[in-house]
Amino acid sequence: MGKRQGGLYPILFLTVVVLISVIALTVTNDITEEPIAEGKRQAIMEMLQSLFPEMDDFRYDEESERYTVTADGTLLGQAFMAQGVGYGGPIDILIGLELDSALRGIQIVSQKETPGLGAKVTGATFLNQFVGQEAGTLALTKDGGAIDAITGATISSSAVVKAIKDAVLEQSGNNGGGE
Amino acid sequence: MQSVKESFTNGIMRANPTFILLLGLCPTLAVSTSLDNAVGMTAAFLFVLLLANIIVSSLRRFIPDRVRIPTFIVIIATLVTLVDLMLQGFVPELSKSLGMYIPLIVVNCIILGRAEAFASKNRVVHSIADALGMAIGFGWAIFIVSLIRQLLGSGSLEFFGVHLFTVPGLEENPAAIFLLPMGAFFVIGVLLALFRWMGVSESE
Amino acid sequence: MSELAAIFFGMALVNNMVLSKFLGLCPFFGVSKNLKSAFSMGVAVLLVMFVASAVTWPLFHVLLVPYGAGYMRTVIFILVIASLVQIIEMTIKRTNLTLYNALGIYLPLITTNCAVLGITFINIDSAYTFPQSIAAALGAGLGFTLVLVIMSGIRERLDLADTPKAFRGAPIAFITAMFLGLAFLAFGGMVG
Repeated sequence: MGKRQGGLYPILFLTVVVLISVIALTVTNDITEEPIAEGKRQAIMEMLQSLFPEMDDFRYDEESERYTVTADGTLLGQAFMAQGVGYGGPIDILIGLELDSALRGIQIVSQKETPGLGAKVTGATFLNQFVGQEAGTLALTKDGGAIDAITGATISSSAVVKAIKDAVLEQSGNNGGGE
Repeated sequence: MQSVKESFTNGIMRANPTFILLLGLCPTLAVSTSLDNAVGMTAAFLFVLLLANIIVSSLRRFIPDRVRIPTFIVIIATLVTLVDLMLQGFVPELSKSLGMYIPLIVVNCIILGRAEAFASKNRVVHSIADALGMAIGFGWAIFIVSLIRQLLGSGSLEFFGVHLFTVPGLEENPAAIFLLPMGAFFVIGVLLALFRWMGVSESE
Repeated sequence: MSELAAIFFGMALVNNMVLSKFLGLCPFFGVSKNLKSAFSMGVAVLLVMFVASAVTWPLFHVLLVPYGAGYMRTVIFILVIASLVQIIEMTIKRTNLTLYNALGIYLPLITTNCAVLGITFINIDSAYTFPQSIAAALGAGLGFTLVLVIMSGIRERLDLADTPKAFRGAPIAFITAMFLGLAFLAFGGMVG
């Protein structure tokens, strides 16, 4: 077989391969960038929708990293993301706030908790407990609060509670007295 | 010299990557919690393996020995990234479910192994057969494991949203351990023993 | 500081690479047959994880992200790891021949070790800072070594035991892994 082994050929070959690879990837990225972004926007919209069913529009403010949710132009409330340190990794939470800063509800965006245990934080039974609560006094029942932790998943449950509490406190700090 | 047919059937049973060669176990164990995952992972795997085999086999006379491995790696990594991006863009649910195990296909010993051991030394037709065989072998292995784990671990079987089957009594109190890592180890261990017992030869 | 410790121990024990994240399984079953090789492999992996994390994190954040080329990470990371492994192997060969003879054959295998690439991905996906990534890498490497060593100890004794024929070798190794995983579950309450 006449495989050339000498001198620069291997390097040249590899360089060409790499170049083709980069081109292929860049092209694919260009093609998929839109669908991926659109998919994310869809996902956020669906989650906001389930928190604010009467919503018909929302806007995202880059600076404050907050979503303002409206229906017919009237402000319904706000939402923003929080991240908790769960058992299996970060837990991304979407927090919905009423106009008066009470919790509208929360949605778990992503988590890596144990299926059947910590993963139950995504379940309605757990999530519904947050509706109407005041974020500032949020706590698990074992700490004197109103949220029942999931049996056998205290870490996941308290991670969610802590994340919400911290995020809301931080946001109201940036708020400067409401909008 | 193997026939094309032999190259194909090799991967399905005799040299089944999962149960015989014990390769590519990471994704098999990690994502086999649902049938959807199994199918998605197999599809991604097939895509990468098939194309990698075709490319490497076509170029086999041109790839200089010294940069052999880096070349394989770049080819495979590119294909994997392609799959990853396309999944994210067009099947985001699956992409989220399979997570980082899609990009990890790049270090899947099966793919690099086939490129090195087979595709770089055989004709394109054989390499295609080999890729298909290996992918099917990988596929049905991960499918069975997922079947068992999903059924026992959540009590019911679902396939892309279509509810297939519920084991009465099991759905309310599933054996969740099967969805956990240790359940995976157990299932594979037992299946491997089963294979052994059935007398399928093993290359150790 | 305690946060780094939490990440370190979390990676090593709670979210152990092998038992909980299914990474690094090939060497796990291939090399864990005797204690010495298990330990050697573990140390080699730890070293590569550490260096790989130290290199890929800055690469990602300084080079890829600003140019919107995050999608290149799979290709770049694996090439970095492959190169690192080569460099490390050559360095060890030149500086410490005994070490090389002990570790030597395992080093090239590490390139395809999903645990190494895995930890670099985890560092990015978990949005770790640089110190956190290093803590994670060290923890992961240590956890991997720990599990490998324990596994080899068990397997060495299993070899002497009277295992049913169908289970000998790989099958019983997996079942053992299951028990090991169960045991490690106990670490669950340790962190956080």
